[in-house]
Amino acid sequence: MGEVAAKMKIMPSDVETDLGKLKEQLRAAVPEGSEIYGEIVEEPVAFGLKALIVTVIVGDQEGGTEAVEEAFAKVEGAENIQILELGRL
Amino acid sequence: MAADKPHLNLAVIGHIDHGKSTLVGRLMFEAGAVPAHIIEKFRAEAKEKGKESFAFAWVMDSLKEERERGITIDIAHKRFDTDKYYFTVVDCPGHRDFVKNMITGASQADAAILVVAAPDGVMAQTKEHIFLSRTLGINQLIVAVNKMDAVEYSEARYKEVIEQVSAILKMIGFKPSEIPFIPTSAFEGDNITNSSENTPWYKGPSIMQALDQLTVPTKPDTLPLRIPVEDAYTISGIGTVPVGRVETGVMKKGDKIIFMPTGTAGEVKSIEMHHEEIAQAVPGDNIGWNVRGVGKGDVRRGDVCGHTSNPPSVADEFVGQIVVLQHPSAITAGYTPVFHSHTSQVACQFISLDKKLDPKTGQVKEENPTFIKAGDAAIVTFKPTRPMVIEPVKEIPQLGRFAVRDMGMTIAAGMCMSVKQK
Repeated sequence: MGEVAAKMKIMPSDVETDLGKLKEQLRAAVPEGSEIYGEIVEEPVAFGLKALIVTVIVGDQEGGTEAVEEAFAKVEGAENIQILELGRL
Repeated sequence: MAADKPHLNLAVIGHIDHGKSTLVGRLMFEAGAVPAHIIEKFRAEAKEKGKESFAFAWVMDSLKEERERGITIDIAHKRFDTDKYYFTVVDCPGHRDFVKNMITGASQADAAILVVAAPDGVMAQTKEHIFLSRTLGINQLIVAVNKMDAVEYSEARYKEVIEQVSAILKMIGFKPSEIPFIPTSAFEGDNITNSSENTPWYKGPSIMQALDQLTVPTKPDTLPLRIPVEDAYTISGIGTVPVGRVETGVMKKGDKIIFMPTGTAGEVKSIEMHHEEIAQAVPGDNIGWNVRGVGKGDVRRGDVCGHTSNPPSVADEFVGQIVVLQHPSAITAGYTPVFHSHTSQVACQFISLDKKLDPKTGQVKEENPTFIKAGDAAIVTFKPTRPMVIEPVKEIPQLGRFAVRDMGMTIAAGMCMSVKQK
């Protein structure tokens, strides 16, 4: 079976979004069977905007990163989720 | 970690259980990329117990343990050096549902090692991964005919496997004569760095030597400008700021740009990356750019920014080559799943199934087939249900790949061959 690490970029809804709160909510939203690895890192983008970089570990199985992406998409303050990198552990 | 060596992204692909992870571990081990403290710990333990021969398996276990305990910081990829290059390795997931991520993801592999176990030969996933590697734009391939120890280092078996793999490679335009086929045992360490005594009949390069023979792809900065929009923001005191990653071309301050498919045009007022202003953005840069003459509602995720003089292509219809990865029944004309390409998601209708290809010979097996199913490769004409930007892979490969999704599954992966514009 094996596990896969997916590095995701989450863009906030706007410049004023509280990133601390967003991080907490993302941690709370991780669906069963997946987990966040290490810290959620703030990455400066442009004009005051910051993205959050999250590494999530999911099983190498049906659905892939779908459940995590859907759960994160529902979090208030998360505008969109993009998978940056992906690899088996 | 020599920073002055050119960097390459390396994907390791192949059927599950053919030894991908073992090969990655072996490469790391022989390239000296295993952390010094692990090697030290090993030396002490080996001395104590006298089991040097288990060196490699032990190192693999230690690395796994460190990941589980959360010691490794960047776990999504691994790094090692050869004489010439510095590699970032991605061990590709086995399940098909990750294909979407590999197509729309940011890190593009420059080369791939295809691992095929000698006892099994070509399996379903081997075929799929070869197709995918081409769809993903990987043009440099090394084939490791692995687990040679399990077939007594038989040259005859090695040749049989080469023949099987070559047939599929030819079909999608790889030239087998230009690809090294290396007999390996990742577990025993045969032909990884040095030529193995177990395969005296093999005169070609080892894996490390083959890696050094790869070439660094040129940055796509001479292609037309294309930046898929990830999102657009309104920032007080600044204005409309789309964000995204430059795929191809160069954008400078003052450039006249246009967003397609909407046709909204404006002028680049300023560009920022990591919160610092830059004069120009090149491929790979993650930027936000401020556009004069464009409102926030005029730009959205999935739009593509290009120069007004060479705008992104909006497809009325397009022709693509796809490989069907999974589908519960048969796909016929009229099927309308969602296509994921760059940052866009648009439902597209299969308006005609034009050709079915034979995976064994690469020839057209059937003209205008009535249906296609899992495992088939085909040429199909698609019609987007709303305007969408897509480019032929021959012209702008970065904007020509797509994943087809339906019922929560990745149904197919494909590349755009031609576009009939609006």
